[in-house]
Amino acid sequence: MKQVEDSEILEKFANTKTRNEAFNLLLNKYQQKIYWHIRRMVIDHDDADDLVQDVFVKVWKNLESFRSDAQLYTWIYRIATNECITFLNKKKQRNNTSLDEVSDELSETLVASSYFNGDKIQLKLQQALLTLPEKQRLIFNMKYFDELKYEEISEITGTSVGALKASFHIAVKKIETFMLNEDITF
Amino acid sequence: MKQDFENDEWMKGVRETGFTTPAHYFDELSESINARISAEKFKAVIQNDGHTVPDNYFEKLQANILAKTIAEPVAKPKVVRLWNSSLLKYATAACFLLVTGLGLYFNQRNPVQQTASTDLATDQMLYDIDEQVIIDHISSADIIQPKSTAADTDLENYILTNYSQSELATSL
Repeated sequence: MKQVEDSEILEKFANTKTRNEAFNLLLNKYQQKIYWHIRRMVIDHDDADDLVQDVFVKVWKNLESFRSDAQLYTWIYRIATNECITFLNKKKQRNNTSLDEVSDELSETLVASSYFNGDKIQLKLQQALLTLPEKQRLIFNMKYFDELKYEEISEITGTSVGALKASFHIAVKKIETFMLNEDITF
Repeated sequence: MKQDFENDEWMKGVRETGFTTPAHYFDELSESINARISAEKFKAVIQNDGHTVPDNYFEKLQANILAKTIAEPVAKPKVVRLWNSSLLKYATAACFLLVTGLGLYFNQRNPVQQTASTDLATDQMLYDIDEQVIIDHISSADIIQPKSTAADTDLENYILTNYSQSELATSL
């Protein structure tokens, strides 16, 4: 199926008669990408489900004021990223836990989840990712799984391309070390 | 010797093409390449993250989002025209009557209240004084009967000389 252009979605959304159609097109194009982006950050399916709905409700409410000098998908990704970070921060505050403890909690959620069917190596990669600081994990996910360009990640996170590259390299090194400690070599 | 000279000239030409690199680019390049190679190695073994979703999840997700956005009825604020409402007339009349009534009621009630409160204060003051103190005060007080300026016999004589027997009989 041919993907509709963002410009067409925005054009249709601007017209009240075709607004609903435009939003349907937007959902068809982005809901899965945004769901997976959120899911990789919060791990639990139910949490991701709540957050992805919140994201698109925000998109619906604010799309009219969206300035077309930014790209639509980076704008949606930015909303999703902010929602994830807010959610994880709230989780830390609610449980009065440190980042390490949250990582342990997410790792336990991953192992116990009925919606994770990865093999041993996939599980280890996820566990390795959970040892990273949130921002490194975010950057790694966007580069590795979403295959976004550094320029796009830069627009989403507001971080310079140079800093993103450094972050990604550090993340890769840490994952490599984690895997070696688990006797997994590539 | 000639070859070195030609090589230098060629290098000079390359240097003068106007291209530049970011600061410390070549220091970081090897690290970037190594990280990319490692990431590519991961990718060759781990293509996806292993997360799954329930069956038909994305169809349900879309329906849920649409229910919260497009299908959500926009609650229009109800406009009540205050000045054109007959309710306002009745409310104004009721307020006027209430204010007037309360004004009259309190005006009439005030003097009564004041007298009542003065009596109450006096009673309270007497009540506060010890009973024995009042008794002692009365018994020790030098109660002086007003002295009559004229003697009883003088009065008798005055009456008998100025009034007849019949006048006295009718008066008594």
